[in-house]
Amino acid sequence: MNPAAKAPIVSITNVTKDYNLGKVVVPALRGVDLQVHPGEFISIAGPSGSGKTTLLNLIGCVDTATTGVVSVAGQDTKQLSERQLTNLRLHTIGFIFQSFNLVSVLTVFQNVEFPLLLQRKLDKAQRRERVMQLLEQVGLAGHAKHRPNELSGGQRQRVAVARALVTRPQLVLADEPTANLDSVTGQHIIDLMKELNQKEGTTFIFSTHDAKVMNHANAVWRLADGKILDRLSASEAQRAMAVGGH
Amino acid sequence: MGGHFRLLMQVAFRNLFTSKINLLIGGIIFFGTLLVVVGGALLDSMDSAMSRSIIGSVAGHIQVYSDDSKDELGLFGNMGGEPDLAAVDDFSRIKPVLEKHPNVKTVVPMGTNGALITSGNTVDLTLARLRDLYKKRAEGGETPGLRENIDSLKSHVRQMVALMEEDLVRSQALLSESARTPEEKESLVRARSEAFWNTFEQDPFDSLEFLENRIAPQIPDGDMLYLRYAGTDLDAFQRTFDRMEVVDGQPVPAGQRGMLLSKFFYEEYLKLKTARRLDLIKQERDVNKKTIATDPQLERWVKENQTQTRELLFQLDPIKTRLAVERLQKVLGTQEPKLEKLLSTFLATDDANFDTRYAQFYSELAPLLELYRLRLGDSLTITAFTRSGYVQSVNVKVYGTYQFKGLEKSALAGALNLMDLMSFRDLYGYLSADKKAEIADLQKQSGVQAVARENAEDALFGEDSGNSLVAEATPGVIDEKDAFTGALDSLRRDDLAKRIYSQDEIEQGVVLSAAVMLKDPEQLPRTMAELQQSAKDAGLKLRVVSWQQAAGIIGQFVLMAKLVLYFAVFIIFVVALVIINNAMMMATLQRVREVGTMRAIGAQRSFVLGMVLVETLLLGFVFGAGGALVGSGIMAALGSAGIPAGNEALYFFFSGPRLYPSLSAGNLIAAFVIVLVVSSISTLYPAFLATRVSPLKAMQTDE
Ligand SMILES: Nc1ncnc2c1ncn2[C@@H]1O[C@H](COP(=O)(O)OP(=O)(O)OP(=O)(O)O)[C@@H](O)[C@H]1O
Ligand SMILES: [Mg+2]
Repeated sequence: MNPAAKAPIVSITNVTKDYNLGKVVVPALRGVDLQVHPGEFISIAGPSGSGKTTLLNLIGCVDTATTGVVSVAGQDTKQLSERQLTNLRLHTIGFIFQSFNLVSVLTVFQNVEFPLLLQRKLDKAQRRERVMQLLEQVGLAGHAKHRPNELSGGQRQRVAVARALVTRPQLVLADEPTANLDSVTGQHIIDLMKELNQKEGTTFIFSTHDAKVMNHANAVWRLADGKILDRLSASEAQRAMAVGGH
Repeated sequence: MGGHFRLLMQVAFRNLFTSKINLLIGGIIFFGTLLVVVGGALLDSMDSAMSRSIIGSVAGHIQVYSDDSKDELGLFGNMGGEPDLAAVDDFSRIKPVLEKHPNVKTVVPMGTNGALITSGNTVDLTLARLRDLYKKRAEGGETPGLRENIDSLKSHVRQMVALMEEDLVRSQALLSESARTPEEKESLVRARSEAFWNTFEQDPFDSLEFLENRIAPQIPDGDMLYLRYAGTDLDAFQRTFDRMEVVDGQPVPAGQRGMLLSKFFYEEYLKLKTARRLDLIKQERDVNKKTIATDPQLERWVKENQTQTRELLFQLDPIKTRLAVERLQKVLGTQEPKLEKLLSTFLATDDANFDTRYAQFYSELAPLLELYRLRLGDSLTITAFTRSGYVQSVNVKVYGTYQFKGLEKSALAGALNLMDLMSFRDLYGYLSADKKAEIADLQKQSGVQAVARENAEDALFGEDSGNSLVAEATPGVIDEKDAFTGALDSLRRDDLAKRIYSQDEIEQGVVLSAAVMLKDPEQLPRTMAELQQSAKDAGLKLRVVSWQQAAGIIGQFVLMAKLVLYFAVFIIFVVALVIINNAMMMATLQRVREVGTMRAIGAQRSFVLGMVLVETLLLGFVFGAGGALVGSGIMAALGSAGIPAGNEALYFFFSGPRLYPSLSAGNLIAAFVIVLVVSSISTLYPAFLATRVSPLKAMQTDE
């Protein structure tokens, strides 16, 4: 591991996040510091309610921190306008959702093509080539014309992976990408992500409950009660799980 | 950009048929467009049909009248009677000014007014005829033919008195409050007595006067009728309003005094009521497929025919009564001797025997009867208030009846009777400044303060003719107080009726308005403005109005109907707007996750806005086009089959028995624009809400 080689792609400094529920204030994150470097394959682990989703939302620029600095690809997200944040999401970040979130009325091909159309960088032929290339990588080239509801859960999540990666983002975020899948299928998705991480050098951050899924990560950040417990290497994490899990 | 838009279209198009809510919205848009297309086209067609009715019957495209008028022109009458118009002193002065305009085809002088006429009861009419015969005898001595006629009429009168006594007895038998005073009863007893009839010939005029004053008023069947008439240059009128046609009788000979009654008016008010009711029943049965058994109106008419036989009985003298009894006995196959009973049985028609009875009435009974209270060729006495407040009576010969083609059954188009301008001016009794001076002149000449009737007539109608204006002194005009009796006067009256007036005489004088027919009706507003200007330039104080304004209450009525319909359409669209708005809100809420996902993976707010708007517009286009297409189909079908005017009032608005509506490009475009505007407006708020959906919504897991 040589994390200091490049500038971090995600840098979180002393971040807190409170959810204001009228009278009650729920502190979801209470002073988190964290850095992720390009090319890393990171897992965020922790019990339910520990703040995993909250943390990923802040990194994904779909939510803002109450205090502290969240910087993504070198940009302090607090300083960006709504428009700029959207552009950051479009060009720099890819999302994989727990419930896949495909656009049901579009075909597999159109779903994957969607971010490219929003980007308006490539012409039709280029888009076609790129989409087909990704569908091949996730093994769904034969299903390009299908609608999402004609696919299994695992296939849908693979389409979602293709969609997240089609723009060649620097960073892909995945909040419990395997939670809605059986363990074998979930394993396949993680394998796929890992493969892409190694081939393309894309940075992945994903959250999970599943110890087996965590195995694949370079490092696991453990969250508890809105705070970082520790940062473990893959093998450390496995040992910790083996102890703590029983 | 291209790809971007294509994506919007793709999403929108895919959503179009997958979302049930969209189908609901589409349905509303479909029916909305259908409604606007069909409703709009029907309304427009009716509007233009009605404008044809108004323009083609009396109004022309433009009406011109004096700017000094207190009221506005109302050719079909206004609320509370005739409008108060100032007269145009001399039509020949305004005509050239109007005709100069290149777009003016013809100018027709006009004046509408209303008057009461007494249609006279049967006793009155019979007595009048009897009086005429006695007069003839006084002048030319008795001939056997005259004697026979006199005797026949006398026995007719006796028969009527007998019928009246019968009525009296009947009402007493019923112990009802007898409407008759002792005096009236006494007169009736005297008229029934042998003594009266034995001594009748001693002083026939005295006897007649007794009957006229004491007996005739006891009969209630005489009607006061309100007659609306338009005085006009009848030849120019016929040429200009080519839908006008003479039905019975003949046109008024060129340049002569005379009247053409509206066929509708003639049938409705002057026909024997029994015959009229039979005609109406026949029409309702034949045209509208109603039956006596099921329609209360028809049933009522049959009842009235059964009970109201007096009018028929009065008409028949003893000889005709006997004939009628014989014929009815044969037709009905009974021995019943009383005509009243026979008539009542004969007229008790039902659906099975109506058609035969109807034919029998006209073949057996009608030849014995006077079917109309006024025969064509007879004169009508019209009584009107003149401008100066006098009551004026004028005798006008009725030459025939006329109607407007296609508007035969319309009470509105049939309300106006036509009269020559001379008679109109007499009734109007307007004295222009010139004429006043002329009379003053005459008075000076004859050296008397009040110029004698004969003098004035001779002076006015001697050599330098053309002055029929002095109503109070015009022959043919009867002063209420002393009616003409002398032979000399009736001779003069004949002269007047036969006189042929020159075009100049017709045109030089008072009119109330002028109808202007245009060559190109499309130019109406411009031509109106230009005519107004040239009238001003010529120093004429005229008001120039369109046919719509001239139609007065009718024009407003249509405007009202249109407003009501537009208001209804407006309400429907407001409701549609609310429904579409709510439906779109629901659709947006349903799609919160999808929108959130799009936002999360990098779609800007503008993209979301565009997506919702494009979707609604597409919805509007697709379903709007469907509605417009179906609407066009319906209009095409209606246009070739026509919509029947179910009731008579609609004839005027349909300009005939059927309305053949047509669809204009304007209707379609208007419908489309309205639908698109309504659907876009109703989507604005939901679209705005959609842009506010947070990308966080994408992260929420399924419930
Ligand atoms: N929108 C919200 N409004 C209020 N409180 C929230 C909201 N989202 C999360 N929280 C609270 O913040 C804390 C952290 O929640 P978070 O969803 O980040 O946990 P998590 O680790 O993702 O849990 P899980 O494993 O169950 O997904 C929890 O106490 C949760 O109740
Ligand atoms: Mg979570």
